[in-house]
Amino acid sequence: MALDTSIPVLVVDDYKTMIRIIRNLLKQLGFEDVDEAADGTEALGKMKERRYGLVISDWNMEPMTGYELLKQVRSDSSLSKTPFIMVTAESKTENVIAAKKAGVNNYIVKPFNAPTLKSKIEAVFGD
Amino acid sequence: MSDMSSEHVAKIIDFLRNGRKSEDVSLEDVMRLAELMAESFQSFFKTMDLDIYSELGEMAREIANMKEELALLRLSDMRDEHIPTAGRELDAIVEATEEATNTIMSAAEEIMGADAADIEAYQGLVSEKVIDIFQACSFQDITGQRISKVVSTLNALDKRITTLVEKLKILRISDVAGEETAAEKRARELMLNGPQFSGEGVSQDDVDAFF
Repeated sequence: MALDTSIPVLVVDDYKTMIRIIRNLLKQLGFEDVDEAADGTEALGKMKERRYGLVISDWNMEPMTGYELLKQVRSDSSLSKTPFIMVTAESKTENVIAAKKAGVNNYIVKPFNAPTLKSKIEAVFGD
Repeated sequence: MSDMSSEHVAKIIDFLRNGRKSEDVSLEDVMRLAELMAESFQSFFKTMDLDIYSELGEMAREIANMKEELALLRLSDMRDEHIPTAGRELDAIVEATEEATNTIMSAAEEIMGADAADIEAYQGLVSEKVIDIFQACSFQDITGQRISKVVSTLNALDKRITTLVEKLKILRISDVAGEETAAEKRARELMLNGPQFSGEGVSQDDVDAFF
């Protein structure tokens, strides 16, 4: 099954440069509908206004972290099914375990490359 | 205190403690008590051994020497000059890397979005943008020099603190645990560990295996 690149994607990161990198990589993969948020709070607000097909979020942000965002999303029945990929420099085992336990669909350790991002998105959508 | 009874002394002390509100105690009583106390201290000092005076003198000299040695460490230079300068160097590094990243990304985006139908124009654009990328990469040289200066400051700070610890004979300074700040508590609870050094964190392969 081909990857549906028409879905709206929300990229959450407090570094504009990282958002720009991910946005460009997504563009290369064919995703054109990409929104952005600078932290968990802003992301949650956007998710309540629009249904996203995928969320790609950093972990370490202020005031709401990506981990807190993930837990909020999973506890909200209207958002809980949204595919969620964590893209982060947090590479301690405890982080990966906590994210998995909180319901993350996949986890990418920074720095990463385009094939890694592509393969994780494909894995989330079962391709 | 031969001419003052202990009850009277107690009354004067109460008078002094209670904001001097009593008509039974006069100024003369208070002065007499002060005089008696001075006399009793004099007799106390007379009983002290001369060796103690000598010890105290030695301690005073030690303190004076330590002050001189601490002055030689020029700790105020670190506080007023070296550490603020290191902070400015780090800010400049962040700024330079951000600027270079933006330049490189803009060039790459222009190449990515260019129309390749006109080969000659496309080649010209790519050559121009590649030069921009090369030029932007020169930030590494300058930031490298800035980082070296910060490392020198940290080494100097380390040396001075080590000397200070030795002079003050603080042997177990690492055992003194400070209270956890709100930021530290948040970082611990939300697992904000930050990037790990090479070989210390889990790799992408480890994560993939876990998933």
